[in-house]
Amino acid sequence: MTDAWRAAAADLWEQAPCGLLVAGTDGMVLRANATMCRWLGYAPAELVGVRKFPELMPMGARVFLQTHWTPLLQIQGSVSEVQLDLLHRQGHRVPMILNAIRRERDGRMQDEIAVLIATDRKLYERELLAARAKSEAVAIDLEQAQLKLRQSNDALFAEQRRKDEFLATLAHELRNPLAPLSNLVEVIRLRGGDARLSERELQVLSRQVAQMARLVDDLMNISRISLGRIDLRLEPADLAPLLKYVAEEAFPSAQAAGLTIRTELPAAPLWANIDRARLTQVVANLLNNSVKYSLPGAHIVLRATAADGAVVIEVSDTGIGIPPDQLTQIFNMFSQLTPALERSQGGLGIGLALVKGLVALHGGTVEAHSEGTGKGSRFTVRLPLIAPPPSVARETVPTLLGLGESGATVVIVDDNADAAEVLGMAMEMLGYRVTVAHSALDAFRLMAASAPQAAVLDIGLPDLNGYQLAQMIRGEPWGAAMVLVAATGWGQESDKRAARDAGFDLHFTKPLDFIELDKQLRSVLPKRG
Amino acid sequence: MSLQRRNNINIHGAGQATMVLVHGFGCDQSMWRHMVPAFQDSHRIIVFDLVGSGGSDLSAYDQTKYGTLHGYAQDLLEILDHYADGPVVLVAHSVSAMIGLLAANAAPARFAAQIMVGPSACYIDDESYRGGFSRADIEDLLDTMAGNYLGWSSTMAPAIMGAADQPELSVELTNSFCRTDPDIAKHFARVTFLSDHRADLAHCTIPTLVMQCTDDLIAPREVGEFIQRAITGSKLVLIDNTGHCPHLSAPDASIAAMREFLAGSP
Repeated sequence: MTDAWRAAAADLWEQAPCGLLVAGTDGMVLRANATMCRWLGYAPAELVGVRKFPELMPMGARVFLQTHWTPLLQIQGSVSEVQLDLLHRQGHRVPMILNAIRRERDGRMQDEIAVLIATDRKLYERELLAARAKSEAVAIDLEQAQLKLRQSNDALFAEQRRKDEFLATLAHELRNPLAPLSNLVEVIRLRGGDARLSERELQVLSRQVAQMARLVDDLMNISRISLGRIDLRLEPADLAPLLKYVAEEAFPSAQAAGLTIRTELPAAPLWANIDRARLTQVVANLLNNSVKYSLPGAHIVLRATAADGAVVIEVSDTGIGIPPDQLTQIFNMFSQLTPALERSQGGLGIGLALVKGLVALHGGTVEAHSEGTGKGSRFTVRLPLIAPPPSVARETVPTLLGLGESGATVVIVDDNADAAEVLGMAMEMLGYRVTVAHSALDAFRLMAASAPQAAVLDIGLPDLNGYQLAQMIRGEPWGAAMVLVAATGWGQESDKRAARDAGFDLHFTKPLDFIELDKQLRSVLPKRG
Repeated sequence: MSLQRRNNINIHGAGQATMVLVHGFGCDQSMWRHMVPAFQDSHRIIVFDLVGSGGSDLSAYDQTKYGTLHGYAQDLLEILDHYADGPVVLVAHSVSAMIGLLAANAAPARFAAQIMVGPSACYIDDESYRGGFSRADIEDLLDTMAGNYLGWSSTMAPAIMGAADQPELSVELTNSFCRTDPDIAKHFARVTFLSDHRADLAHCTIPTLVMQCTDDLIAPREVGEFIQRAITGSKLVLIDNTGHCPHLSAPDASIAAMREFLAGSP
């Protein structure tokens, strides 16, 4: 080996473009090249024979050295591409990549270590790691969002299916009364002439129409409750007579089904704040339910008591009962126990949902009990009991009296010709003189010519709406004192206010109850003179 | 899944008594390369890899189960149920000394004795207790772990599994003994270095040897002395060694200390 070559080799060792360090197996630094010393800020004499290799590292790297680096050197004699921070003499970290081999030299084992500065590579890798973590987080979010979407899709699908089933039931139920009605129309047509309806035919007519009306009422009520569009007219009332009345109403259908209804009502009054019409509906629905789900020979009991500050109304039967797992579900909408079209009992399956909604609006609760299938059912309604009001107003019984020979003049405006016609006939029977119009402008011309005492205006008219028509009427000398009655589809407070603002005196929800209309007209008309 | 595959269980020797060797944080059962030949004439030796390490089935790594050392203790007891008849001699390194302690506390009858190699019951300093580390040190270690894949990538995983049977291949696979999934390694590091089982020491009822290195960064001498004091009747032996793995770097002294202890144990 020439001196020149030896000098070149020594220079290459010192100035190599990587740091070189030799350490004993105890870690003591045996040699370090100039590059290594420069990168770490030490003079060779400050390292060689003075410091141990692990002392050039922060704690994390030292632990890693003991748990990974050293065992690897011991087991496989080498370690490569280890990324560790080394500490500069001034304390800052220098990210480095290290390779090492352990081998015997001059009879001693030693570790020969090569290092490269890896500042940029480390930054780059950190960015890659951060990007990966971010994309993993996004992937997890996405997965969760998809799961949620799937769940809500499933829920929507189930809801959709329940609604489809409900619509099928609805169509079926509305069609049922239509068949006898259309048959009856056919019978009347075949008989010809002005033959009067027989009592039996009238009963069919009235029963089927009542059935349809009940279905449609239930439907409207349930949607009003679910849209929050129902206002109760609460007033203190004694429940006993009301319950007695409802039970009596249910007797015929119970009898027809071979059932008995018994009432157990206390002698003392049961006072509660109720909307009479709605509570009647509640109890009637429960009784109707018992009738539907009992076999001939069963007994139905309507019982009312006062207990723990509540009025407790119970409807129990010895009917087909309710399976335990269905007890809480039966108050949900569209939740009839048997599939829609397989039943013979009829109904929309919304009766109990309606009961629950109406009872809740009264501040009460309703519960179902049953010992199981075949063991009968018991429905319990609880309403807050109140003290009797100081003076119980005597109920006034409406009298059905016409206005006499000088009957008032009324114009009825409705684009549904049949509805206008029938209301007109009813009003004529009550003694009014009636004319009918089917559009706002026709009605206006008619009224300008005849100046009637009152007008009943539908709001949804083909040309102008009822509010506009009312304003036009109020603008005329002949219309200033006319009694104007609005007929709207919804009975919300906002509808009533709109009617008042447009100049209406009275507001009715369709279908118009002509008895009530007559009553209110008579209380208003004389004052107008 | 078979226990054998889950923990890469290997049996050596044919002695009467059974000895179980459990590696610590970092590598795998190859850490016991000097111990197995030394004891295989006197013992039947069970070695295995902790789930998440070495040749274990990485798919069995459940972050919840292995979120505490109890998950590993449960595995150890399962292995004893399947592979050992009578009480065993347990030799456990580093964090596995605490895993062994938890198993021995749960089922003392399964163990004849235990040798804890470089144990620590708590790594982080706590008032008067000196574990040797601050929380910041542990975070620094986790950071170092994150930057070192030691050759890991998902495409390498199958090669690692086969490497143990093919020594000529393992030469090619540098760092293979410490190679593992980086996420698992980081989680295991966190569970290990944040564990505190000081309160469990007093419940130990089996003969115990604490084998402590004279200069060990991870388990300083005070820690070994603390453990020896806390386990009634336990013995402490100091091995003249720098580092955390006396069974690798000072095998002769380690073997001698173990033999002496075992000769004196029932």
